[in-house]
Amino acid sequence: MTKAQLLRNLGGTLWPSFLTAAVASVVFFASIDPESLHMQTLPDWQISRMAGYTIGFFMFWGVGLASSLITLVLVSGGPRESQ
Amino acid sequence: MSKPEAATDAGMYVSREKIHPREVKGPFQTLRNLAVVVLLGIFYGLPWLQWDGRQAVLFDLPVRQFHIFGLTFWPQDFLYLALLLIIAALTLFFFTALAGRLWCGYACPQTVWTEAFIWMERWTEGNRQQRLKLDKSPWTRQKLLRRGSKHALWVAFALYTGFTFVGYFTPITQLAGNVLTLNLGFWEAFWLLFYGFATWGNAGFLREQVCIYMCPYARFQSAMFDRNSLIISYDTQRGEPRGGRSRNVDHRERGLGDCIDCNLCVQACPTGIDIRQGLQYECIACAACIDACNGVMDKMNYPRGLIRYSTENAMEGKPARVLRPRVLIYGTLLLALIAGVLFSLTQRMPLAVEVLADRNVVYREVDWNTIENVYTVRILNKDRVAHSYVLTVEGLPGITVHTHSERIRVGAGDTDTAVVRVQVPRDAVSGPGNPFRLIMQSEDNPDIRTVNTARFNGPRG
Ligand code: SF4
Ligand code: SF4
Repeated sequence: MTKAQLLRNLGGTLWPSFLTAAVASVVFFASIDPESLHMQTLPDWQISRMAGYTIGFFMFWGVGLASSLITLVLVSGGPRESQ
Repeated sequence: MSKPEAATDAGMYVSREKIHPREVKGPFQTLRNLAVVVLLGIFYGLPWLQWDGRQAVLFDLPVRQFHIFGLTFWPQDFLYLALLLIIAALTLFFFTALAGRLWCGYACPQTVWTEAFIWMERWTEGNRQQRLKLDKSPWTRQKLLRRGSKHALWVAFALYTGFTFVGYFTPITQLAGNVLTLNLGFWEAFWLLFYGFATWGNAGFLREQVCIYMCPYARFQSAMFDRNSLIISYDTQRGEPRGGRSRNVDHRERGLGDCIDCNLCVQACPTGIDIRQGLQYECIACAACIDACNGVMDKMNYPRGLIRYSTENAMEGKPARVLRPRVLIYGTLLLALIAGVLFSLTQRMPLAVEVLADRNVVYREVDWNTIENVYTVRILNKDRVAHSYVLTVEGLPGITVHTHSERIRVGAGDTDTAVVRVQVPRDAVSGPGNPFRLIMQSEDNPDIRTVNTARFNGPRG
């Protein structure tokens, strides 16, 4: 992969997953308070709401990125397309 | 749709010539500059606006309340947020069907910030010719100075952008104090830098590549366009065959079209395409090429509008229609939604009550004749003043309610929970799940009133 393709692929995966992560975070945290989530899961962990939102956002981003990357692998260089 | 040079060869992607759009003057550019100033003015100014003694627009994430002018929204008001997003999407569809990529050329943050960054580039490095020359020149003191001041400006502007962004989520005056005393919280600092970095990268370096390679909207446009949508188009019939000529010759006689092949439209284009090759998805409809070409037409004494806003139908001489089913449907939906939201906002109940049954005890026998259930009632006063609420119950014969104190006082924007004991004569209920209603009413304003349905569990018959 040339540096050019690499950059292009980065743009094509980072950006869509960023957008979906932003929407997902809004929807998720509008209905779920990170404070109560943290009380129910890891009550010993001292984190603020801000930290909860941030972690949540980056988790969504990570998941989206993983999915985008897999899609990228699948659509490029399938058996029929490998010219 | 043809591709720009940068896209035909993936290898060109990075080492592509940096696009230095030529500065053009004309009505559309004035409009665009105005849009940039107004939109950035709103973005940077809004967090400083005060309303009723607090920040007018504040998405207070740490306490989970959104303040928008006089209104306060809670997570319970999620419906409004969803509706707002739908309205935004519909608005985009509506304007795209009507006037093409208006959004891209005038309102998209990517365009607006890129434009602002290009201004800074112009102030420090000069116009297009000077910048092209500077790119090629060796590292002299002069170049270092110009480049350095450009980057200093960019970084400062980006950091201030990040600061403003965080200011929508943390009270901005307090945030400013924290920045000045170097007392910023970790997460605030993190988001400030993150957003600043994104602005700097997107507006300073990636620019048109975001539109070409990363923007999903640009790819959806063909689904939203039809033959009557306004697009930027070059009048091929009038312009071709193109070619240079002196101002004095009658070009028609020489068999030439109106395009003098001066390439100004290409130089003005921020995405570096040639509009004369037809509509391309890289075109962000900024109309810079229109202004550039009109200037040329004026100089040549040809009529303006060789490049102009037009529709595919109009270009082919067919009648253009503005009101089409697509536009009408988007428009009606949009109006209905906006009206619905506004109406429901006026009807919004400034009180929310949640009732939770005690999970540990199903029911309790107070005495031989009375069964009791215990509930936890959570009261959320969404109003901007404190209220005292009175709880009553109805729906089962002889039902009574007992609270710790007769009225429950909840401060403005506060929540309180109360333990509520509900008693019913033994012969009025049998078995679990008898529905009854809990009515919470404000003492000073009987219009503030909610009704919750809960279930009363009694012993089996
Ligand atoms: S072709 Fe014209 S309208 Fe389209 S992006 Fe380029 S300058 Fe703007
Ligand atoms: S600016 Fe007008 S005249 Fe000049 S090359 Fe473009 S279309 Fe032709």
